[in-house]
Amino acid sequence: MSDKKAYAVLGLFETPDALMHAIPKLRAAKLGTVEAYTPYPIHGIDEALGLRRSPLGGMVLVMGVLGALTAFGFQYWISAIDYPIITGGKSAASWEAFIPIMFEVTVLFATFTAGLGMLLLLNRLPFFGHPVLSAKAMKGITRDRYALALEAESEAFDSAAAAQALEAAGAVDIEVLPAPDRSPFLTSDYILRTLGGIFVACLVAGLGIFSLIKWFPLLAPMKYMQDQPRLNAQKASTFFKDGHGMQPPVPGTVARGYLPTATGTQDASANLVNPLPRTKDVFAQGRKVYTNRCEVCHGALANGAGSLTAAYGAKPANLQAQQFRDYPDGKIYWAVVNGKNAMPAHAAYLTEPQRWAVVHYVRALQRAQNATDEDLKVVAP
Amino acid sequence: MRTDASVHAVPIPEGLLEPALTVGKVTPGSLDDQVLAFPETKPPKQWYLALAVTLTALGIGLACIGYTFTTGIGAWGNSSPVFWAFDIINFVFWVGIGHAGTLISAILFLFRKRWRNAIARFAEAMTIFAVMCAVIFPLIHVGRPWLAYWLFPYPNERALWTNFRSPLLWDVFAVNTYFSVSLMFWYLGLIPDIASMRDRTTSKLRKTIYTVLALGWRGAASHWQHYEKAYLLLAGLATGLVLSVHSVVSFDFATSVVPGWHMTIFPPYFVAGAIFAGFSMVVIVLVVVRETMQLKNLITMRHLDVMNKVILAMSCIMGYSYMMEGFTAWYSMNEYLHHGFMNIITGTYGWAGWITISCNIFIPQLLWFKKCRSSYFWMILVAIGVTIGMWFERFVIIVISLHQDYLPSAWRIYKPTMVDFGILLGTFGLFFTLVLIFARVLPVIATTEVKAILPDAQPSHGGSHE
Ligand code: HEC
Repeated sequence: MSDKKAYAVLGLFETPDALMHAIPKLRAAKLGTVEAYTPYPIHGIDEALGLRRSPLGGMVLVMGVLGALTAFGFQYWISAIDYPIITGGKSAASWEAFIPIMFEVTVLFATFTAGLGMLLLLNRLPFFGHPVLSAKAMKGITRDRYALALEAESEAFDSAAAAQALEAAGAVDIEVLPAPDRSPFLTSDYILRTLGGIFVACLVAGLGIFSLIKWFPLLAPMKYMQDQPRLNAQKASTFFKDGHGMQPPVPGTVARGYLPTATGTQDASANLVNPLPRTKDVFAQGRKVYTNRCEVCHGALANGAGSLTAAYGAKPANLQAQQFRDYPDGKIYWAVVNGKNAMPAHAAYLTEPQRWAVVHYVRALQRAQNATDEDLKVVAP
Repeated sequence: MRTDASVHAVPIPEGLLEPALTVGKVTPGSLDDQVLAFPETKPPKQWYLALAVTLTALGIGLACIGYTFTTGIGAWGNSSPVFWAFDIINFVFWVGIGHAGTLISAILFLFRKRWRNAIARFAEAMTIFAVMCAVIFPLIHVGRPWLAYWLFPYPNERALWTNFRSPLLWDVFAVNTYFSVSLMFWYLGLIPDIASMRDRTTSKLRKTIYTVLALGWRGAASHWQHYEKAYLLLAGLATGLVLSVHSVVSFDFATSVVPGWHMTIFPPYFVAGAIFAGFSMVVIVLVVVRETMQLKNLITMRHLDVMNKVILAMSCIMGYSYMMEGFTAWYSMNEYLHHGFMNIITGTYGWAGWITISCNIFIPQLLWFKKCRSSYFWMILVAIGVTIGMWFERFVIIVISLHQDYLPSAWRIYKPTMVDFGILLGTFGLFFTLVLIFARVLPVIATTEVKAILPDAQPSHGGSHE
């Protein structure tokens, strides 16, 4: 064993008390660094081994504060500078709303510092190649035994003397741990093997996905609203013979509210009957139509003196004339729908009820201008 | 540096002595043989049976989720004005269940309640599983789960950023932080235990897996020193999380103007409710674990007794909160608030309101009696009652408040569909499947932590006894 360099000499103890007694003795012997291996943390062992206080608290504090500042800066920059959108009537820079996320990010930073900082930085784990891990004593160390190791500090480490010192301190099952031939990590073949493994894994995954996509039809995972039967622009319809998606109306189609208009001659329409009852609503509608559509030419009193008369050239009929007072409703209706001479047709502007309503209203105007004593009599309700 | 024995000579009165944390003789070695042996033995028939049941439930849930995706969101009962229904109810329910684990592992650790060591591992595992169940709901509720990363503020080609004034975004951060911290806490605790399993197992496959997971832990004193510090710091950080996560969840409601949600009592009320529900779930699972895994000497009746006392205390806080809700409605002289509260006790969903009140306030009062705290029958009855009651509490808060708010023309009765129930069942399946698997592959009791508090585990002299 002496020809091989030793990493450390390890001895076991049965109780934590025995361990704690041995530590000062071994430290005084100054044969090497004293390190303890225990199944759980032992109170007071840090002081006994002379370990420095863990710097983790400070690290966590710094990173926590950094987390808070990062979260604040990030939120402020987004909410107030890069993408200022007013919500809830608050100023874009109202910082109060940033507090919850600042808190969460602080905790997140601090946690990762505490956990990973402890593992990776302070304890230098993962480390699978440490000599102690392959010691026979390891089975006991993670169970119920307490071990002390004298670790070589220099070339001059004397493993035999160390073993003797351990034995004198009460240790049993003393073993010498050989130094590893090479660092178990970051050797060139280790790196090559790792990279090769990653490459092969990528290759297999890529080929797998490629063949999956190729051999299995792609199944839509869910229905999108945009995926529904319809004809897109510039595409021919397979449904209609002419290939148009949009079809012209069938001949004779009537739009809602625009029922067939009076065709034929004015005289033929003479005996059409106004279908609308003479109610307040109908008169109100008729009046509205008249004011909007007829008044400019025929005047508010239907006497042919509208505001447009002078400029118009043609003379609008004086509807108060005896001729028109004697007209049947149907002839007025015909004139409204088809127009007459210089009077334009109104079929396109007025729905069927509007046409008949304005007829009622013209009748009312005629009667108002030629009122008799009869009309003053109050109609019994 | 042996301390003179006479320093400790003042006798401690019998009543103040802390009772033993374990029953019978437990040594570090026997503890390992008892707890770490589980993963090495073949599971009994009952375990497979239980797994079949939970996997069926999980399968039903997955089928329902699949059905939702292929058919459309109309498969759920959500409809105007109740756009948030089962998804958010179940989300809040599961996140709440998780809180017990963090409370036990973090807050009780800071308070140096050493009895927590035996149950912390299981409770922490339940936290992680519960949060996993919870996250499913917002994920499927966003409609296209594969775009869920849009929830995070990241630079994107649409030049859009998230709205940091929205409590829903706070939720994204809170839940993600919670999950990360819980996972970190759990894993750190597991490392030394996995190292123990690595060194005792004879199976080559297990040895390989445990070797990787243990990260080469070798129990060096210089490592323990940093490890203990990290654990303490994590406990402190997680403590803040217990209080913050459910507060943030409650902001989802409290910062809106819906009558019945817009109340300052919500954050503490939600946190208490979460601990309440979580402890009940832990009691249910612990009783089963204690019986089926022969851990009676480690998870003692005293543990269950203390847990039940916590449940009782939380129940009283809940009672106070419910009364406060009524008081606020009355004292505010706000007719909308008033209407909302009357809806809870007399409305269409009045039955749900009364299930909540009975299960959460009346039934747990049984725990005032020592007999009930030490009888499986009664404590399970209370725990199941609380679980049901707390689910209905979220139903009451969400559905009752939404189905009738300011606009009477929009009022409508909400009816969940079978798909809604199927997904809820599925998360129970997922939760218990994970619990069952965990119980078979990892140490269910933090052996390292329990070893440290066994009699004679610490040197009898000198040293710093915190
Ligand atoms: C652009 C001006 C103008 C408008 C607007 C107008 N008219 Fe006329 N209207 C005339 C003229 C001009 C005549 C005379 C036509 C003719 O006989 O030469 C006339 C004639 C008439 C006649 C008599 C037809 C006949 O048989 O001789 C009636 C009835 C009539 N209009 C009703 C109306 C009603 C009702 C409206 C509103 C819906 C209306 N007009 C809108 C210009 C107009």
